[in-house]
Amino acid sequence: MGRPWKKSETYRAVSAALYESNPISKQILGICSALAVTVKLSTAIVMSLALTFVVAFSNLVISSLRNQIPRNIRIIVEVSVIATLVIVADEFLRAFLYDVSKQLSVFVGLIITNCIVMGRAETFAMSNPPGRSFVDGLANGIGYGSILCAVAFFRELLGSGKLLGFRVIPDAFYAAGYQNMGLMLLAPGAFIMIGLFVWLENTLLGD
Amino acid sequence: MSEQSKSLVFAFVLCLACSLLLTAAATGLKQRQVRNVLVDRHRNILLAVGLIEEGRHTDAARVESMYREKIKELWVDSAGAIVPPERRGPGDLPIYVYCEGESVEAYVIPIDTRGLWGEINGYLAIDKDGSTIRGFTVYSHSETPGLGGEIERSWFRKKFVGKRITDRQGRFVSISIAKGSVAQVVPEPRRINYVDGISGATMTGRFLTSGFRDILRNYEPVAVRFRQGILNGPESRTGETNGQAVEEK
Repeated sequence: MGRPWKKSETYRAVSAALYESNPISKQILGICSALAVTVKLSTAIVMSLALTFVVAFSNLVISSLRNQIPRNIRIIVEVSVIATLVIVADEFLRAFLYDVSKQLSVFVGLIITNCIVMGRAETFAMSNPPGRSFVDGLANGIGYGSILCAVAFFRELLGSGKLLGFRVIPDAFYAAGYQNMGLMLLAPGAFIMIGLFVWLENTLLGD
Repeated sequence: MSEQSKSLVFAFVLCLACSLLLTAAATGLKQRQVRNVLVDRHRNILLAVGLIEEGRHTDAARVESMYREKIKELWVDSAGAIVPPERRGPGDLPIYVYCEGESVEAYVIPIDTRGLWGEINGYLAIDKDGSTIRGFTVYSHSETPGLGGEIERSWFRKKFVGKRITDRQGRFVSISIAKGSVAQVVPEPRRINYVDGISGATMTGRFLTSGFRDILRNYEPVAVRFRQGILNGPESRTGETNGQAVEEK
């Protein structure tokens, strides 16, 4: 009607990635890393950026090559492109964000096996033009990152009373008997948080 | 071109492009990474002796200036005497001495040992009495996260502080990781030489224990000198002149 951009393919891809079929809360993909890196907000942010970089550029590269990639080796090609980008991201983190990179340890490397990246390459980039694929990658990375950061926000706040390493719960609260919630620092805390987000989103979206 | 050869050519070109990109990233960033690793080690040495607070971020420049000011890198031979840099041999061992003004406060020995899945690297700081542990840090390991990987966490490392590597008579016994809680599995007189183990990480504890034993045994001649107070003087600040003095004794 009055909003023709709402009908564009790109818009549909973006809104699906961010909301209607968010990789974590709707498709329940990438849960392993979502459990592991969300104890602190800083690691979650860096992890989200790394994944967004990888998924956007792997989509771009694979989509540009989609007409040349031989069908019989396409999965191998996709994995090679993704693996290369992940290692490049890891090298950059080691050079510029050494502390966070140490905390993320194996999880940056494990982006290679993250189903979101592979899934977007195979289902979207192989059948869409480069520009739209790149935007789709960005949107999926942000969709993943938004849940990751939201979970990390509550886990760090409730679990250690801090945000980005700064204490935000005033000492007066602790003096009055407030205690950090130890459960939030453990993996079950992340499961519960992610579950709550899935619930919230399903309620807001309806069926 | 047949379908198969096309695939081969494509795979070859892709591999070439990927490896070029990776080589460029690795070599281009190497300098920064090497520096980061070095600063991280210095930070761990300072953490082990207690100059940096646990959990608080200290920036690289501050770490480096503090390290230059307070820590002396020395080498000792198998008899525990300080070796001047120009006469260093293959069997000599590195120690890091923490000096506050003119007096020696503690020394740090590198702990590089086998773990369950790979090497464990860290530092053990021992007080100037040559016996009491001042701190322990781990800067790299490949143990299972959540199990053996807990060795790098402060709750585990803090348990080493105040423990001893000698028994009540002052004889060397090393420091060991108990299987379970020290209060339950170790008899009272030996508890000072044990720290609580991590549940689910028995093997990591066992490897670390044997690593401590071997490394501390190698360093025992140095520890003896510290216990006798030989290395605890103003002259031990300068490696070259002191090397002679200690050797003559």
